[in-house]
Amino acid sequence: MKILVAVKQVAALDEDFEIRDDGRDVDPDFFIRDLNEWDDFSLEEAVRIKEAAAEPVEVAVVSVGTDEVDESLRKCLAKGADRAIRIWDAAIEGSDSIAIARVLAAAAKREAPDMLFAGVQSSDQSFASTGIAAAALLGWPHAAVVSNLTYTPGAKSAVFRRELEGGLLQEVEIQCPAVLTIQLGINTPRYASLRSIKQAASKPIEVLSLADVALSEADVGETGSSSRVRRMYVPDKGRAQLIEGDAAQQAARLAEIIREFKGARA
Amino acid sequence: VSRTDAVTRILFEAFSATEVRLFYLLGYAAIAVFCYGVYVQIRKYRRGAQLRLEDGLGRRLGAMVSSVLSHRTIDRRDRAAGGAHRLIFYGFMLLFAGTATITLEYDILEPLFGIRFWHGEFYLVFSLILDIAGVALIAGLVFMMYRRGWMHLPKLDYARPDRVPGDPDFNRPQYRREDWAFLWLLLIIACTGYVLEAARLVWLQERADVWDTRWWSPVGALLAEGMRAGGLGEQGGGLLRHGLWWFHGLIALLLIALIPFTKVKHIFTAAASLMVRDPLAAQRLPRVPDSQEQVGAAKITDFNWKQLLNLDACTKCGRCHEACPARAVGAPLSPRDVILSLREFARSTLESGVVPDAAELDIHGKKPGQVAMETLWSCRTCMACVEICPVAVEHVPIIVQMRRKLVEDGAMDPLLTKTLQTIHKTGNSFGESKRKRGVWSKTLPFPVKDARKEPVDVLWFVGDYASFDPRNQKVSQIFASLLHEAGVDFGILYDGESNAGNDVRRVGEEGLYEVLAAANVSALKSASFKSVVTTDPHSFNTIRNEYPDFGGRFEIEHYTTLAKRLFAEGRLQVTRPLKYRVTFHDPCHLGRFNKGYDAPRELLALLGCELVEMGRCKSNSFCCGAGGGRIWVPDPVGAEKPAQNRMKEAAAIPGLEVYVVSCPKDLTMFEDALKTTGNEGKFVVKELIELIREAVPARRTEEVTA
Repeated sequence: MKILVAVKQVAALDEDFEIRDDGRDVDPDFFIRDLNEWDDFSLEEAVRIKEAAAEPVEVAVVSVGTDEVDESLRKCLAKGADRAIRIWDAAIEGSDSIAIARVLAAAAKREAPDMLFAGVQSSDQSFASTGIAAAALLGWPHAAVVSNLTYTPGAKSAVFRRELEGGLLQEVEIQCPAVLTIQLGINTPRYASLRSIKQAASKPIEVLSLADVALSEADVGETGSSSRVRRMYVPDKGRAQLIEGDAAQQAARLAEIIREFKGARA
Repeated sequence: VSRTDAVTRILFEAFSATEVRLFYLLGYAAIAVFCYGVYVQIRKYRRGAQLRLEDGLGRRLGAMVSSVLSHRTIDRRDRAAGGAHRLIFYGFMLLFAGTATITLEYDILEPLFGIRFWHGEFYLVFSLILDIAGVALIAGLVFMMYRRGWMHLPKLDYARPDRVPGDPDFNRPQYRREDWAFLWLLLIIACTGYVLEAARLVWLQERADVWDTRWWSPVGALLAEGMRAGGLGEQGGGLLRHGLWWFHGLIALLLIALIPFTKVKHIFTAAASLMVRDPLAAQRLPRVPDSQEQVGAAKITDFNWKQLLNLDACTKCGRCHEACPARAVGAPLSPRDVILSLREFARSTLESGVVPDAAELDIHGKKPGQVAMETLWSCRTCMACVEICPVAVEHVPIIVQMRRKLVEDGAMDPLLTKTLQTIHKTGNSFGESKRKRGVWSKTLPFPVKDARKEPVDVLWFVGDYASFDPRNQKVSQIFASLLHEAGVDFGILYDGESNAGNDVRRVGEEGLYEVLAAANVSALKSASFKSVVTTDPHSFNTIRNEYPDFGGRFEIEHYTTLAKRLFAEGRLQVTRPLKYRVTFHDPCHLGRFNKGYDAPRELLALLGCELVEMGRCKSNSFCCGAGGGRIWVPDPVGAEKPAQNRMKEAAAIPGLEVYVVSCPKDLTMFEDALKTTGNEGKFVVKELIELIREAVPARRTEEVTA
């Protein structure tokens, strides 16, 4: 019995940051890296299922990224994952969420889990598409925004609930293996103490190349992607301003501003 | 042989050989039971984890003997109990010494070497002393009975704040029964001793060596006169003496046999506990060796032998119960009950022949003997319990070691989890970017040196609250100005500094503490400075007492001593004396932890303030509630907070104008409590630094550089 959990190391922005020279992303110097918040919940859900199961269940985490990701993977191992897999190849640089999903789907094929969990979305890119795209590529049933799950590893199906608009709950039965994207709040993720993270350093992180998951360079990167980021920028601040002074002064200033605008148009 | 030389203690006179043999038999039996009990206790302690004590046996022995003989620790905050205990202790010790010397002569020296000293004047003087000792013992016991029976002291109430009525271990009536049984047993032994003495005098009234020297035992003689007046004759006296002799002897032997099994054992365990006392028990928490896989205390056997001994030393005096700020506001914690719970647990699991399975040694939970997580998380590690314990029980390391296990299990408030993750990620508890740590200094009219880039005399370790909290940033700016104006060459580490870790460690997140301590030690080591100063007592404590364990030995002081010196050297001058009526709140980590009681008070005097002490001050200062990581966890809604309790105490001072603090966390906690207790407008909360600024008006920058 195996549950595969796809996780991502996300980047949070420091207070002041600069855009990368090519203008398509933030300069990585200003990133504070951490495990994606949603993935904390999906991993916790997998570990809880494992702990509650009568049969032995393996929880493996998989991530796409450079060795910087190892820090987050070790956190996952500290929280109860048995094994971590990291897939990287320089060609993966520039992949969109669908290309990343292709890598994850290839890893899932290799691992053949009973269930694949992912977070609903990542907090840095917010496409909310990676998990679902992986399901499509695998040809597995899928469901998004799962907020409650009843699943016994090895069972033919699982029952879960989703929260809909207007306070509605939808209870769904799904055939396994399936891909579920897990919503925040489904559980309370445990704390990984620094000691446990340190001790998790002895658990293996398996590093795979594209070839290991039977993909080629053409499947990933910009060539394997159907979208590309053109530009990342901070929009100009709104130009509202407060006019101070007594009524006459305010009126005078207002008139001045209107004249300026008219002048600009002319 | 002169007349007085013949005088000696009447021992087995008129006893048959069988009776004497029976007595010896019973005596050996009592000693055997005693020895077996001691063996069981020692075996129990040895089932704990190992610990190697650091320094000299002689010094420890000296410290213990001095504490025991002076009763210094028992006198504190309860002179009456200390005095009564002193009467009992010295009375009992003298009587015991008397009995022991008789045994020494009768059973050892005389039969082996023919040496006799228990006669003549020596005997008579000793007899007088023992009579007085008996009076002292009885007086002490009677007072203790009055105290337990009629004084209704809250600290002697065994009802537990962490249990509810109906729980099997809620108020533990068996403790009360044992207390009374102990008092009565001693009282009966003492009283029968006198009656026995009197009966002997009546019985032997015809023997001049006995009767003529009777007033050397004044109490016995008085009683004997009474008995004679009441019609007791020689024969009756003889019978009474014979019967009482056995009664007195048997209960005395019973007491000896019972020592290891009852509270009487405190005469040994308390002394031993005082001997292994760690003067930095709460200030410097124990390290977890890298090789040790398990971090916290999960099982009773995870405590070391010294901690198990501590549990047995507790005399239920209730001083920690009284001093605990968590208990005072109704939180489910009494340090006394943590200790007593674990003691019961150790007794039921580790005194039997075989140690039970690991599953039965789990000390976490709600069953009798176990400690609940709510109890452990209520602790603010303020050290009030450790500081006042007369027998050197060290509660704080026990609680923190149990918390370490809770942290490993993630059994804590979600907000605390969040804070620890934030500290791990950003190096500060505010979740601010590292780069912003020094931003508060940017608005100053002078640059604050970056100690990572240039050497300074004084390195200022700022700490999280003084760096990031807007209210405390103002205080930091004032302190920087004062240092600048006083011509102190100082600098800060900017984003090279991390949370000092004092509170992270006291939460029980040892791994994170190790990371923070290592980061700060390395940052400090790479800077060039003569000494460190801080306005934060929490940082002060951990850098001073705990960083040495991580390879960082730095000379560090709290700002109050530096400021005092700057005044003494004339580098700061009071030009506008303040006439405020103030009270001073000793921060736990400056006062109790590091004995920094005087400098802030001397500064207040220098500034011209009239200091009115609160009832709970200096070593008995009442924690603001922020310690042990509790500043990151909101207190329960509706219940009184420790800071509010404290504000009410301060508000009772007539005409109070300023409540002075010298700790960033105190400023935050008490300004909040001032509002929530409705005292806003009546008096204000201020940092001592702010008062210094008022009394030492700012000089313009040109004047300073000129």
